[in-house]
Amino acid sequence: MSPSYAVSTADLWSIAPEIWLAGAGALLLLLDAFLPALKRAFTPLSLVATLGAGWLAWTSVPTGPSFHGTLDANAITCALTLIVLLAASLALLASDGYLRREGLLSGEYHALLLWSSAGMTLMLRANELLTVFIALELLSICLYALAGYHRRIAVAAEAAIKYFLMGAFVSAFVLLGIALLYGETGSSRIPEIARALAEGKGSLALEALGVVLLIAGFGFKMSLVPFHAWSPDTYQGAPTPFVAFLSVAPKAASVAVLIKIVAAASASAPLAPKWSTVVSLLAVLSMLGGNLLALVQRDLKRMLAYSGVAHMGYLLIPLASLNRDSWVSVLVYLFAYALMNAGAFAVATLLFDKPGEQHLISDLSGWGYRFPVKSACLAICMLSLGGIPPTLGFLGKYLVFLHAVENHQIWLAAVGVLASLVGVFYYLRVVYVLYMKDEVKAPVAKAGDFLGNLSAGLAALLTLVLGLWPGPVLGWVADAVARLG
Amino acid sequence: MDTFLQLLAGNTLTRLIFFPALACLPLLFIRRDGAARAYALLVGLIEAAFGIGLVWANWGSPFPLLRDGAPLPWIPSWGIQYSVGMDGISMPLVLLSVILLPIVVIGSWEGIHKNWQGFALSLLLLTTGILGALLALDLFLFYIFWEVMLIPMYLIIGIWGGQRRVYAAVKFFLFTMAGSLLMLLAILWLAWTYKEMAGAWSFAFADLLRLQLPASEQAWLFGAFAIAFAIKVPMFPLHTWLPDAHVEAPTGGSVILAGILLKLGTYGFLRFALPLFPQASQRYAPLMAGLALVGILYGALVAWVQADMKKLVAYSSIAHLGFVMLGLFAFDLMAWQGALLQMVNHGLSTGALFLIVGMIYERRHTKEFAQFGGLAKVMPWFAFFLVFSTLSSVGLPGLNGFVGEFLILAGTFTSKSIALRGVAATATFGVVLAAVYLLKMVAATIWGPIKHEENRSLKDLSWREKLLLAPLCLLMLWIGVAPEPFLAPSRPALAAVLTSYQARVTEIPVNTVALRPEAPLSEVALGVQPPGPVAAEARQ
Repeated sequence: MSPSYAVSTADLWSIAPEIWLAGAGALLLLLDAFLPALKRAFTPLSLVATLGAGWLAWTSVPTGPSFHGTLDANAITCALTLIVLLAASLALLASDGYLRREGLLSGEYHALLLWSSAGMTLMLRANELLTVFIALELLSICLYALAGYHRRIAVAAEAAIKYFLMGAFVSAFVLLGIALLYGETGSSRIPEIARALAEGKGSLALEALGVVLLIAGFGFKMSLVPFHAWSPDTYQGAPTPFVAFLSVAPKAASVAVLIKIVAAASASAPLAPKWSTVVSLLAVLSMLGGNLLALVQRDLKRMLAYSGVAHMGYLLIPLASLNRDSWVSVLVYLFAYALMNAGAFAVATLLFDKPGEQHLISDLSGWGYRFPVKSACLAICMLSLGGIPPTLGFLGKYLVFLHAVENHQIWLAAVGVLASLVGVFYYLRVVYVLYMKDEVKAPVAKAGDFLGNLSAGLAALLTLVLGLWPGPVLGWVADAVARLG
Repeated sequence: MDTFLQLLAGNTLTRLIFFPALACLPLLFIRRDGAARAYALLVGLIEAAFGIGLVWANWGSPFPLLRDGAPLPWIPSWGIQYSVGMDGISMPLVLLSVILLPIVVIGSWEGIHKNWQGFALSLLLLTTGILGALLALDLFLFYIFWEVMLIPMYLIIGIWGGQRRVYAAVKFFLFTMAGSLLMLLAILWLAWTYKEMAGAWSFAFADLLRLQLPASEQAWLFGAFAIAFAIKVPMFPLHTWLPDAHVEAPTGGSVILAGILLKLGTYGFLRFALPLFPQASQRYAPLMAGLALVGILYGALVAWVQADMKKLVAYSSIAHLGFVMLGLFAFDLMAWQGALLQMVNHGLSTGALFLIVGMIYERRHTKEFAQFGGLAKVMPWFAFFLVFSTLSSVGLPGLNGFVGEFLILAGTFTSKSIALRGVAATATFGVVLAAVYLLKMVAATIWGPIKHEENRSLKDLSWREKLLLAPLCLLMLWIGVAPEPFLAPSRPALAAVLTSYQARVTEIPVNTVALRPEAPLSEVALGVQPPGPVAAEARQ
């Protein structure tokens, strides 16, 4: 390895999106302090930041390793970066009206969201465990603060405290896992860890423990069963538009790291088959647990939290038989999940106006006729989450199941199918309540929220249109994965 | 994409499938009930004209295999194509669907009291789903259309239905979804197997038909397809969603459900399950025929004890579809012809019966026999249409039902298997039972003295209602008196499918998956080769 740690221009270009995001966040904070008159423009400004970061990630980040192999960019990380930024943009659009309504509009919200995005995009490109950890902390600390952003309501504080306490605990797990792997393999770089494991260096038990701790850590961020307990409480109390971001982006970034870790751990011949079992087990538990628990929820946000648990379970199916094609299903699934989940939370932001109260599904009764467009968006997102064609959500599920069948894990696909049948029941209940029940609660008249509507409408429309005409997106993903060589 | 738009603009199957869905876009801006209703009727009539025109232009025996040119790539990375075709087997069902569409709109004219915009949207999307599923020649495409049918029907039952509508709608949805997810797994498995053998992804029906599967795999896959289709038919013991759905659905929904949706199940067996898994079909034929027989007798006996007209007609559907399934699993040309004709017959007669029950329900807000009696005196036209449709459903010679049932039973009875002959003989009792329960309904409602005073003032059918039932009854009579023009176009197609099926049954079983040589779809599963110029002209 090169002894020189000099930073080249190419290295700086490789973190251009993060520099841009961090700079934009800092600028927004300063504007908040010195030019408060500009507050109204914060959402458009932060959108410029996310879109600009997306553009930089698309055009300027050089493919291949940078910072002496600490980071590694390729078409897949580019796609994941775009998914994270898509979720951030949708959440920012949905947040504007909410923040104004609650009198919370300030630069901190936007800055924290942008910094958290920077942490995620950095983490999913990181090829070195300490960088992963730093990025993880960057994104997590911003998320803890955002979860409790609505200072005046008690549930928000509960949401933040629960998320923070468990998150801090899990960070320690991750750090211990990194330490164990470093101790046994002599490196914190993922490729070198893989090489050491392949050579059978170090104690197998300690290495296995290290990997398990890392899986637990990222399983927590992805809210997999049995690490999911924080998510319903946090989703319920945290600002709804922020949950559109929280429920998607950190999961996308975490699954990228999880895949790298599982791939590296599979380099060790004696351990390789075990990881497939562990991942399958997590997938089955999450799919069944998430869906069954979602069945009994009366609060829309809690239901979506458990549904998110189940969705991460589906997402793990391709990891159980990890190969290059797993990326195709993972990327398409994440893209679909980002759109439909962010869309669902965007509509929830628009429909429920008392953040401190419960978001009861039954309150939506009959609103399908009062808010035809918003309800149609919510219904489309629900059907897509349920995996019903012709939506993008169906394509995601289809690819995941196809991957399982292709890799002789038809039983895993069968469990997935069974679980999604359970899922259909509660997603459909939202449609039922919207259109088939009489109104029980008159909605409070609110000022129009153009950006919020835009966020919901865009997500629902893309879910439907890309479901009908998925050729280009799927073609791009398949090409990107094939180009990896 | 360009080619697709060209197809959409031309006189093609593509236009037939997607016109109702595209017609939904202007409908989004038509909020008033009256306007939405009129618009739906207009679209229905245009769609019917498209459908009848397309069939008329190619009418003849054999009915040619119509394709919309070469299949178009839809999701190229996974070999998924947009590929549609119509032959003599799908043609009668397509025709039935497009004829029923305007009839359903007129039939719901007064019965749907709220949100016509939503009802029309659901109805039109449902039509696109139905036609797409009937015409799809790519299994992925078929699955998508199959599922597209679900949501609109769920909404139709759940929003415009009766008292227990939500229970019925959810039950319908979950039953169907459970079956179709199994089918999805089976489709994935087939496509993957094809990829392993041929090296490239494909969901095209023609490609998947080349797979020669070992017995055990065939059994599993046949099972998955059979459960999905048997739920739709519905076959005993997977029928329990049907009475609920029918009783709760609004009249228009019941007509579509009984008239067309159930046929998708039997069509699925004939088009996909039997040709793809011939040896498994043969092996499980006794089971399927047995279940069909149970369905015939069970449906009839349960219908007998119903006190509600709509429930009675719903259970009679189970019995009638039992005949269709029996005909399919007899593997005999005559029985298959009877089965195909009986699918149409059931659509006509049960459709008419549901409309008639809807008409009396709109007047009296009850469907129980006990509330009626002697209606023939006050509503002679109503009595006429009820008796006419009932006799068609019973299978009176001279009307359509007789032709279908006769062909099925005769075809089944001529089979070599003694057991199958026994089944056919026993199934004949089903015909007797049908007469018992249907005539019981007729007797209780329109004959005898007028028992309830409020029935004296009931208005007879309006011109709208007569106009609605007249074409259905005319078709029943026409098919009953002169069935040959209806049988002839599809005969060659059925014969071709049967021949290739029998050739596949007698193939030497394989232990590992093998690939048959490529053969044109028209020779193995879709009837006849298009006689060049005629088909080409129709595609212009």
